[in-house]
Amino acid sequence: MKLPVQWAAVRAIALRGLRNYFESPTAYVILFVFYLLTGYLFALPFFLVGQASVKGLMDFVPLILTFLVPGLSMGLLADELKSGTFESLATLPIEDWDIALGKFCGYALFLLAAVAGLAFFAVAAAFLAAKPFAIDWGEALGVLSALYCLGFMYGAIGLFASSLTRNQIVAFVGAFMMGFFFFALGKIAGFFPGALMEFAESAGVDSHLANMARGVFDTRDLLYFGSVAFIFLYLAAQRLRTRRFS
Amino acid sequence: MIQAIDLTKRFGNKAAVDRLNFEIPKGQVVGFLGPNGAGKTTTMRLLTGYLPADEGRAVVLDKDVAEDSMAVRRRTGYLPENNPLYEDLDVVDTLHYSARLRGIEDLEERVRRVKGVIGTCGLTSVVAKKVGELSKGYRQRLGLAQAIIHDPEVLILDEPTSGLDPNQVQEVRSLILDLKKEKTLLISTHILSEVTATCDRVIIINAGRIVADGTPESLSGDLQDKNRLHVALKGPPAEVGMALSRLGGVGNLRPERVDGEEDGFLLESAAGHDLREKVFDLAVERRWPIVAMRQERLSLEEVFRKLTREEKP
Repeated sequence: MKLPVQWAAVRAIALRGLRNYFESPTAYVILFVFYLLTGYLFALPFFLVGQASVKGLMDFVPLILTFLVPGLSMGLLADELKSGTFESLATLPIEDWDIALGKFCGYALFLLAAVAGLAFFAVAAAFLAAKPFAIDWGEALGVLSALYCLGFMYGAIGLFASSLTRNQIVAFVGAFMMGFFFFALGKIAGFFPGALMEFAESAGVDSHLANMARGVFDTRDLLYFGSVAFIFLYLAAQRLRTRRFS
Repeated sequence: MIQAIDLTKRFGNKAAVDRLNFEIPKGQVVGFLGPNGAGKTTTMRLLTGYLPADEGRAVVLDKDVAEDSMAVRRRTGYLPENNPLYEDLDVVDTLHYSARLRGIEDLEERVRRVKGVIGTCGLTSVVAKKVGELSKGYRQRLGLAQAIIHDPEVLILDEPTSGLDPNQVQEVRSLILDLKKEKTLLISTHILSEVTATCDRVIIINAGRIVADGTPESLSGDLQDKNRLHVALKGPPAEVGMALSRLGGVGNLRPERVDGEEDGFLLESAAGHDLREKVFDLAVERRWPIVAMRQERLSLEEVFRKLTREEKP
């Protein structure tokens, strides 16, 4: 596989994907459910504890994303494979890598809009704070960034799952299972002995999310999300290539 | 321009394309014929670089498709089988998207190209329509427009007229005839009239192998085992029959109705043995006017059936 990337093609595919999200009812249904669920779960403890903070989002949004992202990513490639448009794409003068990257960028842009929507909760918290607007904005930014990074990584996993099959449901289940693996790894790390525990902790998403959510932007955490995303993007592109050999 | 050298592709144990060899020179329009499952689509996928060959080589525009895939793709236009399109885009967006992916970044240039193919392919009346709302004929034109937006030297069209009604077939066909002037074309089809109407040459494949290659006319000539002449002369039938049967070279004679004439005959002679002049001389000599005379040729349908049936295991 050759990198340098043909950015013009990547941009065209990404913009087309982004537009596809904004025109598809499925994406809106998923977003609606996402905000509804998030809003409900956010509001519940908010009034009970009486603390104005968006930190609470970290308790449940990662799990919601584990379900939600596969819904957004399942069609990325499976749909092209099923409808046959992949054949047109694959005989254009662009590399499989460009296709995978373009699809992913379209998703990542849409995710940006979806996560940016969560800023509403920060603003709501700010209004409700004892001293209006005296919430920890650094922390709020950290929380949103952490959630974006998680969705970014899940998206790459979802793209890979979507490259494996023409069936969107299979792509959904595959993406969920792989995503859940990373989600759960940090939580069960404590059950592993010694070195394995450390590995599980750093391979799982929890420790990295926790750092970022505190507003601490550590390169190691960014590198973690970035490299997992890169690996799955690479796998997706490889899969597109070898798909032709089967 | 297009070359297949021992081109082979296997799916499991079965060879879908089996040591295919052919060469298509610049400017030729070749009809690629074969029954369903003969390996037409696979061959086209090998030539466009969508599938890699197991053995042999595909060479397009003097470049090896496997080694120099991007160079080949840049100068080739391809209409895949079933013409897959994005249903949610409209016609103009579809063409702009294709042009972008083809690296035509400059807006002015892109608009010029898009306008150009809209004109060439007769899409003007549907530019704002969504692909999902287009009739099959327009879809096919859009597929063709996509395939020629970068003005390729080689065009590979997989069943461009399948599923169209006769009027639509005619439209797409005249479009192909227009393109024919400047491009090298390989068109797969199982509609035989297609080939006679548009192609300079026919390659018939069956079970992954070439079973015939030539002009439509030469193929029917080669395969004819007998020369058949239908003739009706205005004279006493019994005498005419007797006289015809005595002509040199006539192997078999049978009375039949010829083009509406009651008292006609079918004359069979050895392949390549033309009886027409002798019949004419006889008619003149006996003063029996010729009211009907027709040399029978094998139609492409018959050639096709003969070749693809016999070869089947």
